Amino acid sequence: MKINRYDEMGERELDILREIASMGTGYAATSLASMIGTKVRMTIPEISILGYTETIEKVGDPEEAIAAVLTCMSGQIQGIMLFLLRLDFINEVLKKMLNQTVENYSDMTDMEMSVLSEVGNIIISSYANAISSLSGITIKLSVPSTSINMLGGILTVPMAEFGYVTDKLLMMDGSLVVDDRKLDSTILMMPDIDSLNVLMTELGKVYEK
Amino acid sequence: MRNNEVKIGIGDMKVLRQEGTLITYALGSCIGITLYDPIIKLGGLLHIMLPQAGAQAAATPFKFADSGIREMIRKMAAYGGIKSRYVCKIAGGAQMFQMTGPIGNIGERNIASVRETLAQEKIRIQGEDVGKNYARTMLIDVSTGVVKIRTMGRNEVIL
Repeated sequence: MKINRYDEMGERELDILREIASMGTGYAATSLASMIGTKVRMTIPEISILGYTETIEKVGDPEEAIAAVLTCMSGQIQGIMLFLLRLDFINEVLKKMLNQTVENYSDMTDMEMSVLSEVGNIIISSYANAISSLSGITIKLSVPSTSINMLGGILTVPMAEFGYVTDKLLMMDGSLVVDDRKLDSTILMMPDIDSLNVLMTELGKVYEK
Repeated sequence: MRNNEVKIGIGDMKVLRQEGTLITYALGSCIGITLYDPIIKLGGLLHIMLPQAGAQAAATPFKFADSGIREMIRKMAAYGGIKSRYVCKIAGGAQMFQMTGPIGNIGERNIASVRETLAQEKIRIQGEDVGKNYARTMLIDVSTGVVKIRTMGRNEVIL
């Protein structure tokens, strides 16, 4: 079945997406664990297909400050991967890696920003690798870019990117649990609609075997 | 928080008369455009996301700069607004991530399209806070026409 709109997906398609998201988040958790030397688990990923305003509401308050690492996917899959981190998660990572913490997003130094960017990069790459190794699909990732900004503004980036083809966004999200504390971070994978069909075909083959 | 505060979502536009506040949150690369007719205290706030509508103008006019501004002018005229009296202010069009390519310059393209459409409609921009790299919340008090911009870690400014 060819998907033309995100909300056309049935249970089979959503199951495949859930599987992708748990694989991706799982790999990301493993990489983070080896980077910071602590046990990292993940929550069960959720798939949501929502309008613009609802998408923002689902993630948080539009005006709240948040850190984000963004990369673009190209190759057989096109779209955006976004890793959102809130202060508790940032501090956990900074404590483990630099032995320091920050009070506010605005207090972050260049060194600390660069750590965030690197952590984001590793997490996003592991996620993409998980999908590639399962399906054989090639995913190229752009150099990551980091931003500290209002959540609403950050989320308009994927919205504008897909704005000409869809009024809804597909979010595959997963959170990481560090040392048994659920820390605030979200990995969002947002493929465009054509890529969704590629994923379904390639991963469909894997599951039908 | 005001009693009569009307929120405008992404790709939407609303009009108020006499009193109340129109607000739109966290404009990133999107642009907020306010038009205000001071004689009849009529205000409108539009939140556009993309520069040109192309074939989608009829379905979702407010998502795009060109079709959005034109539809806004048409709607406000129905409430008695006169184009030559409008005070126009714009905010947004930021670059949220330092990247090259279409994602990096969407804000810039939005600003260009908003300016071009307003110029074609012969509406002068009297205040603006555009570009740079931070998100903005924009609000207009319809009883006075005062437009304010809120940003993270900076003081509220009046445009």
